[in-house]
Amino acid sequence: MLTLDDVSVAFNAGTANEIRALQQVSLSVDDGEFVTVIGANGAGKSSLFNVIAGTAPVDSGRIVLDHADITWWPEYRRSQMIGRVFQDPAMGTCPGLTIRENLSLAAIHGRGAGLRQGVKKDQDAWFVERLAHEHLGLEYRLDSDVGMLSGGQRQAITLVMATLIKPRLLLLDEHTAALDPHAAGQIISLTRELAESHELTVIMITHSMQQACMLGDRIIMMHQGRIEFDIAGEERRKLRPADLVERFHALEDDAEIGERDRPGPARI
Amino acid sequence: MGTVNASGQGPLRHGRDASLHFAHRLVILALVAGLFMSLGNVTIAAVGQGLGFALAGVTVFLTFRVLGFVDLTVDGAFPMGGAICAVLIFVGISPEVAMLAAFLLGMAAGLATALVDIIFKIEGLLASIIVVTAAWTVNLHIMRGQSNIPLLGKETILSRHSGDFRAWVVDQYGAEFRRHSTNLLEIILFGILVCIVLVILYWFMRSETGLAIRATGENPQMVRATGINHQVMIVIGLMVANGLAGLAGSLVVQQFGFADVRLGLGLIVRGLAAVMIGEVLLRPRGIGQMLVAAVAGMLVFDISRAWVFSALDLPPTDIQLVSALVVLVALGLPRLQDRWQVYRKRRRARTE
Repeated sequence: MLTLDDVSVAFNAGTANEIRALQQVSLSVDDGEFVTVIGANGAGKSSLFNVIAGTAPVDSGRIVLDHADITWWPEYRRSQMIGRVFQDPAMGTCPGLTIRENLSLAAIHGRGAGLRQGVKKDQDAWFVERLAHEHLGLEYRLDSDVGMLSGGQRQAITLVMATLIKPRLLLLDEHTAALDPHAAGQIISLTRELAESHELTVIMITHSMQQACMLGDRIIMMHQGRIEFDIAGEERRKLRPADLVERFHALEDDAEIGERDRPGPARI
Repeated sequence: MGTVNASGQGPLRHGRDASLHFAHRLVILALVAGLFMSLGNVTIAAVGQGLGFALAGVTVFLTFRVLGFVDLTVDGAFPMGGAICAVLIFVGISPEVAMLAAFLLGMAAGLATALVDIIFKIEGLLASIIVVTAAWTVNLHIMRGQSNIPLLGKETILSRHSGDFRAWVVDQYGAEFRRHSTNLLEIILFGILVCIVLVILYWFMRSETGLAIRATGENPQMVRATGINHQVMIVIGLMVANGLAGLAGSLVVQQFGFADVRLGLGLIVRGLAAVMIGEVLLRPRGIGQMLVAAVAGMLVFDISRAWVFSALDLPPTDIQLVSALVVLVALGLPRLQDRWQVYRKRRRARTE
């Protein structure tokens, strides 16, 4: 279970350019829950991810994952519990290493690298089985350099790497945004399959309202560093993309009016 | 690559083919080098010297290519290893212990660079320049304020066997080989040592830690995301690499018969040349081939430099200029070849 307590992050604090990326965000994600996070650019989605993953420090607040206070843990240490897939397909894998070597690195997860052989023969069956689930034929290409693969294939590998050893939490940062529609669809169905079969706890950022409605059992909408909507249960099941788009625009319009102190009809 | 079947035979067979081609290229390179040596009146001393410096080439390969870290520490770690080795041998300590000390001190230099980089967030290039600058003084202190320590009459790994070996060579091949016996001994001893180091290094680079080091050079973000501390990998990588530079320093000092504080001058160019010559001529794939290519590159560098010297009958003062030119040719030729091909394509297109 992941709990965020009053987490705040500000950039350029105390100057005219102060940006409050997160304003006292509190959030609790139960084990096995699939949460999608939506919001406009600059709403604080990425900041939320960064403080959970440990790539950015918090100004105040507490982050607890499975009863461990990870607020000040370094990024690599959190990664032993948290799996991540990035927006950029190049970020999650090593292009110069083979698929087998990349997966072998992921298999070290949480143990710390020692002097044992990095590539172990007896792991091959495991890798093949996991890759076969993707239906991309990558299980026949364990010796290919990852650099030779397409973005979609790399994201698939990153997904498998992030979940090879079941993470306590899986963070997906717009992991289909850089892919063509076909590849994006493949990755989304793979994501759903993995999340269901391994009962993963997932937080996924997306810009696609369809994806947000298709996947997961809870939707969080962020705006100006705050969580504006948190839709779960019955309400979430009945939600359609159109409703979501409507709420999204309502939020944006309110903000513009608020910012400019200009009452009247919403601008188009 | 052709079709690939379910048992994974395809990619495996492809891998074996590639290494076979590498072996072919290596043999051809050796033959060409041998031909050049016999035509150009280059003695086997060049090979011995190349083997002495070879591990410094491996240092540059590990830092620049594997770790992606622009590291000049080799310029300081190499003479540091040489200095400690010479001092220890001078006071009568066994050469093996002296070489181990050289390796450890080289590692310390690598550690220093890594810490400067990590703690103060100073870029690798600058961090290593700082360490090399400091190493100059450290080296002078190790050498007790002298800039040169001769090892005449002291027991080194070479001098220990040279008497017996010379007698054996004369006995086997006749008196005319007498003057080559020292060089031959260098080649045999250093060759064995370099091979042992390469085997250990190959094993290490394929271990979990080695794999993580290689990944750190390509994508530190991914290494962190797999729960491995990439900074520790930088530390280990730089320590191992510069340890090898220290070891190379101890070999060269025993070969030359003296230690000099200026021994590391321009070594980085030499190391880079070795790595790139190896890459251009042998086109290695995989970590094992790349390690071999770095060593082969160093040998080619030394042989071709000696060849230029003997062919043009140059005085020893020109050595740095010739070194620079050899590097320039090695690096520039492939680029020129590319340009030449583009030019030919354009001409063909125009005439058609």
